[in-house]
Amino acid sequence: MRSNWLIEIIKRAQTGPFMKERDFDLGIARRVKELVKEKGIKYDPNVLVPADDDLADRIFEAGLQLFVEWGAYCQTTERCIRFTRDEVLDILSQVRSEVTLGTGKDAVVMRHRRVEDPARPVVHSGPTGTPASERYHPLILLSCAQEPLVDCLGAGSVSTYFGEKILPGTPLEILASRRDAAVAREAVRMAGRPGMHINDVAVSLTCAGKMAAFDQAAGLRPSDAVLVSQMVELKTDFDQLSRVAHLYNIGAVTVDLMTPLIGGIGGGAAGTAVVSVAEHLLGAVLYDADYHMFSITHLQNVCNSDPMGLWCQAMVGQALARNTRIVALNDIYVVSGPGTKELLYECAAGAIVGTVCGFNMQGAGTTGGFKTDHTTGLEARFIAEVSEASLGLRRQDADALAHELLTRYQSTLANPNRGRPFSEVYDVDTVQPKQEWLDIYYSVKEDLGRLGLSLKHAPRPSR
Amino acid sequence: MSIPEPIQKRLGAALQEGDADAAEAVVIEALQGGADPLEIISGIMIPVLTEVGNQFQTGEIFLPELMMAGEAAERIGKHLEQAIAAQGRSTEPQGVVVLGTVQGDIHDIGKNIVATMLRAHGFRVIDLGRNVAPSAFLDAARDNRADIVGMSSLMTTTRPMALNTLNLFKEVGARDQCRIIIGGGCVTEDWVHEIGADGYAADAAAAVELCKKLMA
Repeated sequence: MRSNWLIEIIKRAQTGPFMKERDFDLGIARRVKELVKEKGIKYDPNVLVPADDDLADRIFEAGLQLFVEWGAYCQTTERCIRFTRDEVLDILSQVRSEVTLGTGKDAVVMRHRRVEDPARPVVHSGPTGTPASERYHPLILLSCAQEPLVDCLGAGSVSTYFGEKILPGTPLEILASRRDAAVAREAVRMAGRPGMHINDVAVSLTCAGKMAAFDQAAGLRPSDAVLVSQMVELKTDFDQLSRVAHLYNIGAVTVDLMTPLIGGIGGGAAGTAVVSVAEHLLGAVLYDADYHMFSITHLQNVCNSDPMGLWCQAMVGQALARNTRIVALNDIYVVSGPGTKELLYECAAGAIVGTVCGFNMQGAGTTGGFKTDHTTGLEARFIAEVSEASLGLRRQDADALAHELLTRYQSTLANPNRGRPFSEVYDVDTVQPKQEWLDIYYSVKEDLGRLGLSLKHAPRPSR
Repeated sequence: MSIPEPIQKRLGAALQEGDADAAEAVVIEALQGGADPLEIISGIMIPVLTEVGNQFQTGEIFLPELMMAGEAAERIGKHLEQAIAAQGRSTEPQGVVVLGTVQGDIHDIGKNIVATMLRAHGFRVIDLGRNVAPSAFLDAARDNRADIVGMSSLMTTTRPMALNTLNLFKEVGARDQCRIIIGGGCVTEDWVHEIGADGYAADAAAAVELCKKLMA
C-alpha cells in the first residue's frame, strides 16, 4: 500500500507539461498509430481470442510506452501528469493482487486472474450502465442481489428524486445519492446478504455526491466501493482525484472506471487495446485502485459484444494477466434487452472471453444504456453460470465458442431487439422471472450445452 | 476546375491522410501559383472532408483519421481565408452553429465528432466545450448570431440541463432567434420533441443532415 502518493500526483498535475486538450487527443491518436505499427499489433476478425502470448506482451509494452510518454491529462489544470517507466514499473510491482469485498459471511476475495485461470471469477451485477426508474430500481437491485452466484452489487442510475429531475451539483444529487445507497443496502439485506459488497452509487456525478453515499447504517461502508472515472482517453480531473482522497482516507474500496471507445481516439481494435492497457496503468498509478472496471464499448455499436469488442477484451485481459498483478473486472455491455435470446448470447460471449482471458465479471449493461428498467437479475445469473462453465477452457475453445455465439446475434447489432422492461419479464411481487423469460433462458442454456458448454446450475424444471 | 490536377491530387491525399504539414505546403504553393481559394474550398476541401466523414460513419476509418483530417483542414483554412480576404471577397459559411455539452456533463467526444463533421461541411462552429452553463450557450448564440445551438448530453442525470437551457432562451425572448437541436447518449427523439426543441440527431452524420435541413 502506497502512502500519501496523492501529494505527488497533485504536484505533478500542477507542474507537468501544459497542453491544450485537443493537442493531447491528437498526440495520443498519432502515437497510438505509431505504436500499433511499431509493435506489429493486428486485429484479425477471424481470431477473436488469440492464443498468442507474444501479441499480448506487445500490447502491454505499447500501452506502457504510451502511458510513460504521454501520461494522464488533468482537465482541471490542462497539464499532463507523467511518470517515468521505472516509477510505473515500481508501482506495478507493489499493487495489490487481491482485495476483500464486503463483510462477514458475504465477503468475497477478488483476485488477479491469469490467462485460462482455473479459479472462479468474482461476479458483480446490477443495473450499472442502464438507467432505472425510482419505482423499479429497488426491485431490480434485489433481483440481482438474490442470485446466489452473484457476489457483488452495482447500483443503477436513477434520474429522478420523488419525480423531480436530479441535476448534478445540486442538493437533489446529495439526497438521491443517499437514497440510492440506502436502496442498495436494503436490497442486499432483503436478499439475506447484508455484507455483500456494493460497487458505487451511480446517480451521483460529483465527488460531493459520492461522499454523501457513505453511511455505516444505511448507505455505503468502507467495505463498499466508489467508481473513480477516467474521461476518454487517459484523462482525469480534480473531482475524480478528490474521490480517491476520500476513499483512501476512510479506507473504502477504490474502483478505477475506464470507458475506452473502439473507433475513438485509439482508432480500431488494435489501438484501443493499447489505450486500454495504458488506462489500467493510469488507474494503478494515479488512483491506487483496488480493482479496475474495464467498460469498453464500440463507438457506433455501443456495446462490447461485437467482434472488435470481444477481441479487445481478449487481448487486454491477457496483456494485463501476463504482465501485472492487478485485479481486473470486465464490464459486459450489450445492446439487446431482457426477454430476448440475443441478450443472453451477447452476455455468454463476453463471459466466456473475459473468464478465459483473466478477468472477473461484471454485467450486464443492457440495451446500450438506451432503455430505462430494461435489466434483470436473470442475465446476471446467466453470466455467472457461463463464467463458471468456462473454467478450464483454452483460448482456442473460447475463440470457437465466441464465433459460434456471434452467429446468433451479430446480425442484430445494428438494429437490436431492446426487449422488455423489468416489470414485464419479472413478477414484481415475488421478484422472480416470469415463465416466458425463464423459457428463453433455459432454451439458450440448452443451446450452449449443445455447443459443448456445460452449465451446471439450475436445470430446466419439469412442468 | 482551373486548379492543376497534380495539386488537386496532392491536396486531396494530404487532407485524406490528415497530413497537415503537407496540406499546408500544397495550399501555399497553389495560392502562390494563382489558384482561386474559393475553388480550393468548394472543389477539393469540402468533397474530400465529406468523403472522410462518410468513411468514419461507415466504420472504414476511425476518429483519429477524422480528427487529423479536420486538423489539416483547419490549418489550410487559415491560408485560404487570408487569400480570400486579400482579394476583397468573403466566404459565407453554411451556417453558424454553437455547440456544447450541457452543464454537469463532462463527456464530449460525441460533441467533438459533430463539430469536426460540421466544419467539414462548411459550417462555422463555435465549440463551447463541456459542462456549459445555460447562460454561456445564450451568450455565445447572441455574440455569434448563431443559426443553430446544439446541445449534447450523455448522462440521464444531465439531460434536464438541456431543457433548462432551452427554457432560458424562451425566458429572455431569444428562442425564435435560432434553432435548438439536441443529441447524445441518453437523448431520444421523443423527448426532444416533447420539450419543444427543433431537432434530434442520433449520430454525427445525422447532425450534419439536420443542420443542413434547418438551414435550407
